[in-house]
Amino acid sequence: MRIVIAEDDPLLREGLALLLRAESLDVVATAAGPDGFLEAVDTHDPDVAIVDVRMPPTHTDEGIVAAVEARRRRPGLAVLVLSAYVEQAFATELLAHGSSRLGYLLKERVGRVEEFLTALHRVAAGGTAIDPDVVAQLLARTRPDSGLDRLSPRERDVLALMAEGLGNTAIADRLFVTDGAVHKHIRSIFAKLDLAPTDQADRRVTAVLRYLEDAQRRW
Amino acid sequence: MRVRHASTLSASAAGTGEVQQAVLLAGDPATAWTMSRRLVQDVRMPTHDPPTASWPARRWDVFARARTTLDALEHLAGGFGTAVLALVVLLSVVVTALACLVGVGLPLVPVALRGVRAVAGRERARLSRWGPEIISPGPVPSGLRAALTDPATRRELGWVVTHAVLGMFFSLAGLTLPLNAVRDLTFPLWWRLLSPDEAATASMGLWTVRDLPGALGVGALGLGWIGVTMLVTPGMARLQAWFGRRLLAPDPGTDLALRVAQLTATRAAALDAHAVELRRIERSLHDGTQNRIVAVTVLLGAARRAVARDPADAEAILERAQDAAEQALAELRGVVRSILPPVLTDRSLSDALTGLAVGCPVPCRIDADVPVRCAASVEATAYFVVAEALTNIARHSRARHVVVRVRRRDDRLHLQITDDGRGGANELSGSGIVGIRNRTEAHDGTFMLDSPTGGPTTLTVSLPCGS
Repeated sequence: MRIVIAEDDPLLREGLALLLRAESLDVVATAAGPDGFLEAVDTHDPDVAIVDVRMPPTHTDEGIVAAVEARRRRPGLAVLVLSAYVEQAFATELLAHGSSRLGYLLKERVGRVEEFLTALHRVAAGGTAIDPDVVAQLLARTRPDSGLDRLSPRERDVLALMAEGLGNTAIADRLFVTDGAVHKHIRSIFAKLDLAPTDQADRRVTAVLRYLEDAQRRW
Repeated sequence: MRVRHASTLSASAAGTGEVQQAVLLAGDPATAWTMSRRLVQDVRMPTHDPPTASWPARRWDVFARARTTLDALEHLAGGFGTAVLALVVLLSVVVTALACLVGVGLPLVPVALRGVRAVAGRERARLSRWGPEIISPGPVPSGLRAALTDPATRRELGWVVTHAVLGMFFSLAGLTLPLNAVRDLTFPLWWRLLSPDEAATASMGLWTVRDLPGALGVGALGLGWIGVTMLVTPGMARLQAWFGRRLLAPDPGTDLALRVAQLTATRAAALDAHAVELRRIERSLHDGTQNRIVAVTVLLGAARRAVARDPADAEAILERAQDAAEQALAELRGVVRSILPPVLTDRSLSDALTGLAVGCPVPCRIDADVPVRCAASVEATAYFVVAEALTNIARHSRARHVVVRVRRRDDRLHLQITDDGRGGANELSGSGIVGIRNRTEAHDGTFMLDSPTGGPTTLTVSLPCGS
C-alpha cells in the first residue's frame, strides 16, 4: 500500500511516518502543506492519502479542499482525513462527493494503532471510516421528522457502526451479538427509513447519508 | 538628580550590590527579597533637585517663556480677526433688534443669527487648532421661535458680546505691547530724525530726550516692554480663549451623546481585541500543544507495537514521545504566560516589564516609577502594550536601544516607549500597532505614535488607573 501524508506539524508528520513504516507500510512521500500534497499525489500516484484538516496558509479547511481536489484528479484515491476536533461540517463536505474510499478520524485515534490500521485498510479497500465521535454528534442532532427517531436504541447503535464504515460481522463483534441479529436490525432500519429492498450495499450508504443530510439541513 | 528604579539587562549596579548585602544580612533569600525591595523603594523616593543645577534650567525657562509668548501673540492676532467679525455681527444684531422694535426687522432675524453662527464657527475652528476640539452644534434651527430658543444660539450671542468687547480689548492691548517694545528699542537709532519741537519725548512722555544717554534710556524702556509682554500676553490669550471655550462648547447634552458614540466605538474595539485574543489563544493551543500531545499518543502507540518486535526500537520511540510531551508542556507554559504572566499578579508591573526587557533581542531599559499598583486589568494592558511594542521594535525597527518609561501621575498610568530605530512606523504597516491602539482605547486610554522616517520612534500611551 503506497501512502502519502500531508500534515503541517513536523513532529506529528514524522511520528505518523515512523509508525506506518514500522508496520511495513510504504510511505512514499510526506508534505507540509496542500500544494506539496497535490504535487506528491501527482508524482507518486499513491493508493491512500492521509490528510490533516488544518494546514497553512489559513489553518482552516485547506486539508478538506486539498482532499476533494486530489480525488477529483485521481478518482480511485482513498483519502483518510485526520482532524484535531469533531466538525461534522467537514464530514458532510467530504461525503458530499460519495462515501466510498473515505475516512474521517480524530487525530488521537492514530495512537490506537490496531484500530487505526483497520480503518486505513478498510478505506484503502473501498470502504468508509467515520470517527465514532462524529457519528455520535450526527445522531444527537437528528430532526424529529427524518425517520431516524423511529429507530430503537439498538438500531441506532447498529446504524452508528454502519456509519463508521463497519461491515456486518464487525458490527456483530462490537455489539456482542450474532450476525443474524445484526441482519435483523439492519432490515428493520431499512424498513423504518423507507429504503426499498433493491440493492443492499446501496441502501447501507443511503442510510448513513440520511444522517449526514439530516445534519446538514439543520445547519 | 532624582534616582529612579532603572532595570537594564545587567540590572542596576547599585541595586544588585544592595540586594547582595541584603542577602548576607538576612540569611534566607525570601526575607532578603523583601529587604532588598524596601531598599530599592528607598532609593526610589523622590528628592528635590539641588539648587546648583538651576542655572541651565532657568535659561531653558526663558526660551520656553519666549516661545509661549510668541504663541500667545499669534493667538491674540487670530483673536483680533474674529473680534472684528464679532463686532460687525454684533452691530448687525443690534440693528436688527432696533428694526424689530420699529416692526420691520423680523425677516432679518434668521440672517443675523446665521451670521452669528458663522462667526462662532470660525472661532471654534481657530480654538480647536490649538486645544481640545470644540464640536459645532450644526446649523441654526429653521423657524424663528426654534432659532431664538436654541440654547446654543443664546450662548453664541453672549460670546459675540464678550468677544467684541473684552476679546477686542485683549487683542489690541496684547498686540500693542510688542509694538511699543520695538518702537522704544529702536528709539536710539532714529530719535535724531525727530524735530526738536516734538521734543523727542519718549514713548510714555516720562521725560524729554535731548541727548544720547536719554535715547538709550528709552531703549532700556523697550526691554521693560518685552518683559511686560512676556509676563502678561500668555495670560491674556488664555483668558480670551477661555470665554470662547466656555460659551461655544456644545451643551452637556450634546457632549453626552458624543461620549456615548465614543464609548460604543471603543467597546466594539474592546470586543474585537478580545475576539482576536481568543483566536490567538485557540490557535496556539491547537497548533502547538494539542498537536504535540497527539504526537505523544501516536509515538506511544508505535512504541507499544514495537515492544514485542524490538525493545531497542521501542526505547528510541519512547524517548521521542517523552521529548514531544516536554515540548507540549513548554508550549503550554508559553500560552499561559501570554494570557496573563504570573509575575504580573505575584510581583509588580515593573518586575513583569523587566522580564520582558530581558527577553527582548534589542537592549532595553525599563525606567518604571510606579509606587502604587493600578487595577489588574490596567497593568495587564500596560504589560501587553509594552510586549507588543517590543516585538514590533525587534521585528521592524532595526533599533539599537529601547527605553520604556512608566509613570503614574494624576491617577493615570503613562507609558512611553522610545527606540532609536529607522522610524516610519504607522498603523497601516503592521497589525501590532492597531492591536496596541485597540487595547488602549478599550481601557479609555489615549494612544499617540510619533515615528518620522529615520527615527526615533516614540509610542505614548496613557491609561486611567481605575483604582
